[in-house]
Amino acid sequence: MSVIIDSSNIINSYIPVAVFLVVSLLMPPATMAMVKLLSPRSKSPNKYATYECGSDPLGDARIQFNVEYYLYAIAFVVFDIEVLFLYPWAMVYIGNGVDMVTAIVEMLIFIFVMLFGYAYLWKKGALKWMN
Amino acid sequence: MITMSAESIDIIFNPWLRTLLGLCMIGVVFGGAMVVVWFERKLSGDIQFRLGPKYVGPFGLFQLVADAIKLMTKEDLIPSKADRLLFVSAPIALMGSVFMMLVAIPFGAVVVNGVEYPIVATEMDISLLYIEAVSSIAIIGAFMYAYSSNNKYSLLGAFRNFARMIGYEVPLGITMVSIAIMVGSLNIVEIAQAQSPIWFIFLQPLGFLVFFVALMADMGRLPFDQNESEEELVAGWITEYSGMRFGLGFFAEYIHLILGSMLVVLLFLGGWNLPAALTNITILGIFLPTVYFLLKSALVILTIIMLRWAVPRFRIDQVVDLSWKRLLPLSLLNLGWAIILGIYLGV
Repeated sequence: MSVIIDSSNIINSYIPVAVFLVVSLLMPPATMAMVKLLSPRSKSPNKYATYECGSDPLGDARIQFNVEYYLYAIAFVVFDIEVLFLYPWAMVYIGNGVDMVTAIVEMLIFIFVMLFGYAYLWKKGALKWMN
Repeated sequence: MITMSAESIDIIFNPWLRTLLGLCMIGVVFGGAMVVVWFERKLSGDIQFRLGPKYVGPFGLFQLVADAIKLMTKEDLIPSKADRLLFVSAPIALMGSVFMMLVAIPFGAVVVNGVEYPIVATEMDISLLYIEAVSSIAIIGAFMYAYSSNNKYSLLGAFRNFARMIGYEVPLGITMVSIAIMVGSLNIVEIAQAQSPIWFIFLQPLGFLVFFVALMADMGRLPFDQNESEEELVAGWITEYSGMRFGLGFFAEYIHLILGSMLVVLLFLGGWNLPAALTNITILGIFLPTVYFLLKSALVILTIIMLRWAVPRFRIDQVVDLSWKRLLPLSLLNLGWAIILGIYLGV
């Protein structure tokens, strides 16, 4: 399989992405500017209080989280990177001058190592929701 | 089959014209989101033996227009204790995520003289990876919504939301890889076209199941709306938001629902592929594939809406268990199956 990479084509395919990025950055502020024109304004200090559940909120909501939560997030990062490694591999393991058996065995070893960590996490209870 | 002049090809592949097409698609999706909201309210009413919206326009069809006008004319409130910068930029992150997804998702195809032109703003080689990447920005957007508002219930909702969304991102990604293996490409147009004899749902039923559940969790649809859980967390992540800022988050959720359903159709339910005998008739070829594709997407949306009333909301620990202890092993199993199928079919 011969792949001809035409760099102008690749750049062309990202022009809409760039425009959409700008549009998505501008659209909510533009909408809010429109709202500013249309909506009434009346100032009252009570209005700007945090609603929460209706009664006056006690204390600040920005608290420190349980450390187990970070553990859980780290487990996610590890697995997500595993998935990212799978993408390029999935593209080349058949054809493309790569020895298929080697490629598959290599990936199985990779997944097996991950599964080992997965089993350890499960055993340690890191995948459980803490209370 | 067809000889096209160089100029007409230039017009079709001109990136600026395609951008214009994409901007029109934003309009279509916004209209679609309004129809879906109306439809969901009407259908929910029917399922619960209520009437649903009925006063504004025929069948309450213009209820959403009325709601949009109402949201537009509401005062813009930012609580004084909120983090202003985060509060203002949260809708941008959420809307940005769905807009960036929209660029790469085809809305059907036009077949002229046997040549297929997908209706998509950009056809990049890595669109599947790109879609997964930008759709996960929504997690950050939703977290910004909750964290900025300085509200304990919002924060609780955000924790649950974060745990849920990152948990389901992994099985979602692995099933996407399993699909990419079958085609040998990450280009979503090629993936849709590859399903012309057999839909991938028949080759990877397990993959479809995992993908559908993970996608529903990713979109935050009931039974996976732990970020909102309005019975316990007031309105969860969006409690402090009102007026149009609330409306933007609300719309982003529904656009995500529409795009997600299209993704299901593109990856598993055969995309827009019709028998060549039908699409060779010029008039049918121009309209039918797109109509067929959108109808299938509508059916997926219908299923998701009905599931909302069929399955009660899960507890957050059940949700976390489901993703890490059930869906992740199942998706790996499906990956193994996909590798075997890929070798067998010789991709």
